Amino acid sequence: MGIKRRSFLKGLAGAGAGLTVAPLFTGKAQAREAKMVQDSHVGMLYDATKCIGCKSCETGCKTANNLPVDLDPTGTFDAPRDLSINTFNIIKLYDGPEGRSFVKRQCMHCVDPSCVSGCPTSALNKEENGIVSYNKDACCGCRYCQMNCPYNIPKFQFNDWYGQIRKCELCRETNLVTKGQPGCTEACPTGAVIFGKVKDLLVEAKSRIQNSPDSYVNHIYGEKDGGGTSVLYLSKVPFEKLGLPNLPDHSQASVSEGIQHTLYQGLILPGVVYAVLAGIAFKNRSGHKED
Amino acid sequence: MEHEKALGGKLVTSQTAFLSLLFLICAGLLAWRYAVGIGPVSNLTDHQSWGVWKVLGVLVGAAFVNGGYVTAFLVYIFNRGHYHRFVRQAVLFSLLGYSIAATSLVYDTGRYVNLLNFFIPKYMQPNSALFEVGICITVYIVVLAVEFLPGFLEKFMPEGEGSKNFASTLHSFLNKILFLTVGFGVLLPTMHQSGLGALALLMGQKISLLWQTPWISFLYVVSSIFMGTCIVVLVDMLFHQKDLKNRGYSDLLKKILNIGRYVAAFWIVFRFEEIIRQGGGHLLYDAGFEFFFFWLEMILIVIGMIVLRKSSPRAIFTGASLMLAGGLLYRINTYIIGYESVPGMTYFPSVPEFLISVGMFALQFLIFITLVKIFPVVSQE
Repeated sequence: MGIKRRSFLKGLAGAGAGLTVAPLFTGKAQAREAKMVQDSHVGMLYDATKCIGCKSCETGCKTANNLPVDLDPTGTFDAPRDLSINTFNIIKLYDGPEGRSFVKRQCMHCVDPSCVSGCPTSALNKEENGIVSYNKDACCGCRYCQMNCPYNIPKFQFNDWYGQIRKCELCRETNLVTKGQPGCTEACPTGAVIFGKVKDLLVEAKSRIQNSPDSYVNHIYGEKDGGGTSVLYLSKVPFEKLGLPNLPDHSQASVSEGIQHTLYQGLILPGVVYAVLAGIAFKNRSGHKED
Repeated sequence: MEHEKALGGKLVTSQTAFLSLLFLICAGLLAWRYAVGIGPVSNLTDHQSWGVWKVLGVLVGAAFVNGGYVTAFLVYIFNRGHYHRFVRQAVLFSLLGYSIAATSLVYDTGRYVNLLNFFIPKYMQPNSALFEVGICITVYIVVLAVEFLPGFLEKFMPEGEGSKNFASTLHSFLNKILFLTVGFGVLLPTMHQSGLGALALLMGQKISLLWQTPWISFLYVVSSIFMGTCIVVLVDMLFHQKDLKNRGYSDLLKKILNIGRYVAAFWIVFRFEEIIRQGGGHLLYDAGFEFFFFWLEMILIVIGMIVLRKSSPRAIFTGASLMLAGGLLYRINTYIIGYESVPGMTYFPSVPEFLISVGMFALQFLIFITLVKIFPVVSQE
């Protein structure tokens, strides 16, 4: 007779697939603790109600990071329409039934970044000061960071024979070193975007909402969204309209690492499964059932 | 008594010439890709930066080779000796498939030299599912090579009882430690296949609820098992066309496919349960692009399962092919069709991009067909 279905499924759950099932049965799938903002973390607060859309920050960013301007196909200057390998910071405009608002986009420097969690070769790192940094010497160009970033921030030099990932690093090796703040906040004439410790910026954001509750949506984007970010947003127009995605309060990294850690912590589970498998194969080595 | 034998025959045939041509086109395009980068050759963009190279080359390629996994499971763990005839060819097919999958990474990644960082401790990043996948592929290639080594050695072993040489000594040593190799041969693909699913977890809501679930790793392992049974059968049929009229032979193929059918049935129920549990139920009837591909995937598998109720050679071939196609589409769907970084984004591979993937598969078949002619791989009367 053929394979006994029940014994096959039992073996399936017991031996091989047990690896993937165990964490979910034990309810530890999301066991990894949420990462928190540290006192040392720096970031930015962008207040959309104060932004006049002058794009000084775009220029400030390009100057600080020595980035070329984006040219149109005829070779003349064309204001960039989206973030790219040459544009780490951009101002966009929303104009619709909910009102009118500018929005500044750049790397959010997540508290628990997907890109850092997914990078196989540690090219992306969460630095001591909270900045998500990139190291081209570690990067293998797999572009998993692009696939998993909820904000679509990392850009890859597809047209280079040996390209690299490009994104905002909060001027950590340029303006932050020389002037103590990133190029964009330095250039902003209205104070719509300010630089500081994330903890202080949160206090400031809360007091702005408290002092004029009618001017803002009662939500600081980035306080909890996607597990929190070092760049915080205030706006009168719903954040979704500004292109900021509606994310759960936990990071995806905490979900995926929770599962990975439960499975592979100290390689104990794989070791046990291996021992069981090799043991069964050893027992069976003398001969096979020919049922 | 059945025994593995070299098939012999001419090495250059119209079949191998055609496969070589496909590979030559691929090689030429690869030279172009290395000269100018990924962008000009492919349709990959910042919004869809994984395309057919990764999804066909690595994910589908890795699924394609589950035969070695399933046969090791059946023969050595469940102790089903009558499946032994499938082992060696399945192992060789898997070995080549994984090697091609690893090669795909070399032309898909933008900074390929740094792939070596996977093996440099200071760069290792064990939190990453992609790191795990990379390490598992590499180690599993070694394990498969050790599993296949006896077949390679047999060609160089002396005839007649009692005579020994290096090849025969190594051969008997490998047989003694076979149980150690087999342990890895089952553990690693399990980890590896679950890792291929786990890649989706970080992408969160960028992947449609028709595919995204915390259980995706498990679903990938289960799908790899039913696909594996189909591959074992299809590869075996390739070499035993004249046995197909033999009742005992088709019964054996049916037996192995029945396992695949039950696993697939369980998998389908689980898929629907996950979609509904996660609140994606409306997507099942919300007509659109993803809706179409989801149902195409399901229908392929279900029709395959129905066709396999019959046991004619034609039904076995059609049924196994349909189930396999559905399982492969599941992987393409997860990372291409179901993936959306910005609304309205579309991706379709460019011709050169696609031809590179096709050429690599052609290379895999070319090497496989050539090796089974030279080395004792396929079981014969």
